[in-house]
Amino acid sequence: MKTQKKGILKTLKQYRVAYVYIAPFYILFAIFGLFPMVAGFALSFFRWDGLGAMHFLGLGNYVSLFQDPLFWKALGNTLFIGIIAHIPILLGGLVLAYILNSKLVKGQNIFKTIYFMPMVTSAVAISIIFQNLFGYNYGMINYVLSIFGEDPVNWLGGDGSLIRVAVIVMFAWKWIGWNMVIYLAGMQGISNDIYEAARIDGASHSHIVFKIVIPLLKPIILFTLIQSSIGMFNLFTEPYILTNSSWTGGTNNGGLTLMMYLLNKAPQGGNLYGYASAVAYVITIMIVVISLILNRITAEKEPKPQRKGGKVR
Amino acid sequence: MTTLLLIIGIAALVLIGLALSGRIGKKISLYFILIVIAIIMLMPFYMMFVMSTLSTNEIYSFPPVMWFGDNLLTNLKNMMDQVNLPRAFLNSCIVTFSYTFLVLLFCSIGGYAFSVYDFPGRKQLFAILLGTMMVPATAGIIPWFIMMSKFHWINSFQALVIPSCANAFGIFWMRQYCQNNVPKALIDAARIDGCSEWTIFFRVIAPILKPAYASLGIMQFVNMWNEFMQALIILRKEDMYTLPLLLRSMVSDRGTDYGAMMLASTCAVLPLLICFLCASKYFMDGLTAGAVKE
Amino acid sequence: MKKQFVKRFLAATLVTVMTVPVFTACSGDDGGLGGGTVENTTEEQGKEIAEAVDSDPASISGHIEVGGWPSGDDGFEAALAGFNEQYPNIEVELVFTDTTAHHQALQTALAAGSGAPDVAMVEGAYIAQYKDSMALCDLNTLGADQLKDDFVEFKWDQATSSDGTRLIGIPWDLGPTLYYYRTDVFEECGLPTDPDEVADLMSTWDGVLLVAEAVSIPGQRWFLPSAAYPYQWLFINRDYYDEDLNLKLERDGDLECLQACLDIRNNGWDMNVDMWSAEAYAAYAAGTCVSVASGSWFSGFLKTDIDPDGAGHWGATRLPAGMPDTNWGGSFLVIPEQSQNKEAAWAFVKYMMATTEAQNTMFETIDYFPAYKPAWDEAPELYTDPDPYFGNQEPSPNSIATEIAGNVPVVFNTMMDVTAEGCIYSAFNAGADAGETPEQIRERLGNEIETACAELKEQQIQILKDAGVWEE
Repeated sequence: MKTQKKGILKTLKQYRVAYVYIAPFYILFAIFGLFPMVAGFALSFFRWDGLGAMHFLGLGNYVSLFQDPLFWKALGNTLFIGIIAHIPILLGGLVLAYILNSKLVKGQNIFKTIYFMPMVTSAVAISIIFQNLFGYNYGMINYVLSIFGEDPVNWLGGDGSLIRVAVIVMFAWKWIGWNMVIYLAGMQGISNDIYEAARIDGASHSHIVFKIVIPLLKPIILFTLIQSSIGMFNLFTEPYILTNSSWTGGTNNGGLTLMMYLLNKAPQGGNLYGYASAVAYVITIMIVVISLILNRITAEKEPKPQRKGGKVR
Repeated sequence: MTTLLLIIGIAALVLIGLALSGRIGKKISLYFILIVIAIIMLMPFYMMFVMSTLSTNEIYSFPPVMWFGDNLLTNLKNMMDQVNLPRAFLNSCIVTFSYTFLVLLFCSIGGYAFSVYDFPGRKQLFAILLGTMMVPATAGIIPWFIMMSKFHWINSFQALVIPSCANAFGIFWMRQYCQNNVPKALIDAARIDGCSEWTIFFRVIAPILKPAYASLGIMQFVNMWNEFMQALIILRKEDMYTLPLLLRSMVSDRGTDYGAMMLASTCAVLPLLICFLCASKYFMDGLTAGAVKE
Repeated sequence: MKKQFVKRFLAATLVTVMTVPVFTACSGDDGGLGGGTVENTTEEQGKEIAEAVDSDPASISGHIEVGGWPSGDDGFEAALAGFNEQYPNIEVELVFTDTTAHHQALQTALAAGSGAPDVAMVEGAYIAQYKDSMALCDLNTLGADQLKDDFVEFKWDQATSSDGTRLIGIPWDLGPTLYYYRTDVFEECGLPTDPDEVADLMSTWDGVLLVAEAVSIPGQRWFLPSAAYPYQWLFINRDYYDEDLNLKLERDGDLECLQACLDIRNNGWDMNVDMWSAEAYAAYAAGTCVSVASGSWFSGFLKTDIDPDGAGHWGATRLPAGMPDTNWGGSFLVIPEQSQNKEAAWAFVKYMMATTEAQNTMFETIDYFPAYKPAWDEAPELYTDPDPYFGNQEPSPNSIATEIAGNVPVVFNTMMDVTAEGCIYSAFNAGADAGETPEQIRERLGNEIETACAELKEQQIQILKDAGVWEE
């Protein structure tokens, strides 16, 4: 026992610097992250309006949650928006990165910077602009349509299905540049020799992209996928402002996302703190599961990539 | 319908151009694609600038006004009457700069430690760190707020800064960068020279991490500059408002002066854009130098 | 590598989950999550406070924070001089933000047990969430019960707890529902502009449709922001549920009303946008959206923010098509139990809400129609004098509002009301888009409300149970 203790002390001392370096994160997280998280988890078993008495419900909140059609609607919308929006941000990002990485065009830096700019703005301001662009009677998009003799489209009203289109446009607008920059960074890490060799073999561009670039970029694509999936689950400000602060996501709940559903329960719309905590935990579990699935998919048949300058221990 | 056909037609032309023609045709098509997308990307920014020079009635008129108007001074005056922009700007700067400084410090030493030292528990601790990235902050917002009020941190900037400094993503990012860019030989050489571990980090390692500092710094700066949810429940008094709260406070049921609001948005976004444009080289370098490689 | 990642990941998740019981066990001792830990004011303390406020104003001193949303602050600022004359040693700080943010911050602070202002405004739609809350001071212990007869009954009732013993807020203002219309457009279209004549013309749905057709130019000028609103006006007392918490959507003439709404929509006579949206606001000011209904506080919105240059362009009258007299919103003042200076807080609330001087000063400044009845008789000219903004119409909007205020019934409000109200707009739009009949739309609305409010209803039942007034 004693020797063991001594051993621990010795290791602690030996790696004192390392532990000191990582300590700030774990201390801050334990206080400000873990405690609220755990308390929130406990709260998810109670019915509590934040004002009166707390009533223990067991799994009651989770049961009602899974029975609520609005929850499924919100989940469906979130996945729909997320999956459709990932087509442009993934493929578009890759194609743009490939174009910029090829020597065919100049001004790489300018385009890179412009495409990345949406990432650097506040969602509140930009959502108001998009609300204006998609406006029914005064919107610019409907104006452009009217030039071609089209009837105005009620993007944010109607039967509610077009709200998702508007949200997808905003989501893609924001994320495409980020993905493109990351992919470009990855492509520049791939040795030029590989391209050269492929080109000498007479490989077409699509062949190079699908057979060489994408396999080599798998870990990077995974990284961006996880990032934008988390972004997808956190989608709130955009649909909320686009539907004019409607907590139910506009007509037919067309723009209701999971995060909106959560915040509507508490603390922004209603005051169902226990229920909201349950929703938060279900969302968390979904994010974890999706990350694991993505990991599993990309883990298969991982190639041994050759890269320049990758000096890992 | 015609519009749709038109769009499809243009897209088809571009693709045909790409497939058939020679080098010059390809170039033109590629530039066309890139420029169209660039215009789409810039459009909302452009509209924001334009709207900040229009009156609310002009913003909501048909056909939409697409060129700068002459209402800028009126908007400026209205904005100054409504809100204290310089104060909010200062508040945002205080919060964002102190946060960015702390988070870069903590993340770089943390990421460095994970990449360089092979201490016991490293893998487990790192896995926990990755796990924390998945949990949405909203999961514990009420208990978190209760805690803040017990600390008497309501209406204080530290409530926004200190808790957010536990940034798993940043540590992950820095670790990746260190793994790819910090040669072990350099550390060993410094140790042989008799440098203490602290000195090694701040004298030898930190300069190498510059691009990583730039990229992570910009990302964290942007996040904090735009932080809204926590700020909303923590900062209750107007003289403590950060820019996003100020913007929100300009939207009112009683009728919003959209011209003034767009001007305020411009004022909030512009410094960020300028910073980004200036630092974009470092920023992109930080990414390119392999920060995201496994 | 990847397999390891998965394993490590699972381990991390497990660690997180396993620590849960440990932490919850620890936090049990010191009041757990902190909610509801504030002690309630006892009767004796209440008497002392009431005594001090009434008999020795100068003895009360200190600093209080008053929270709310604009333009309540303009009202308070106008009346503050009078307050400080009576209570020279109380320093008032106004902490104002927008309506949603204010209620959210208040809610969070009450749940946390600290951080709330000493006096807070609460909007009419939210008061039902709070009326049974122990986190707010029972103003009856401070002697508010003696003021009961001076206030409009249905408002007082809204702030009274379910078991009828506690009073958590003093009503500030009413929102007698008025129908606002652009007189310049009416005139241009050859319609009458006098409020009584307009009311006569629109006393049936046929009349309403006649006006709608006359003023509308599809694609350019519209009768209403959305055709959903006439249907919403039927529910604007927010009496969606009866006391057994059954949804009661059937109203006199609701199907005729819905049919008229559908006619308006199908003919393109409405803008098809939210009445609070920026598009609608711009259209009110430009005269392209010709009419809208709202609480009488909307007069203040029009004058100062929406259409400040519109004097002489607006008229106001009763709701069309023989709809009953209703109330739309209006706020309350509450005192959180966590306030450290309840004497000063109560002094403030009592002065601002229950003196004719303060109420009428604020009414003049921001058009918040007093729920305090003595204010009406004290300065009748404020309520009957012609209003130049409304073209000096006879009778003036305020005298119409005064009449309506007398006819509003006591209703039963619940915490589901806000959510239910939001469903009307979306259910109508969805139903109209799908080409449904009025019956189908009403049924759709019922389903939508039941779904959206299911969990809130459970919470409401729990609260009524806790209050001891719920029988299975």
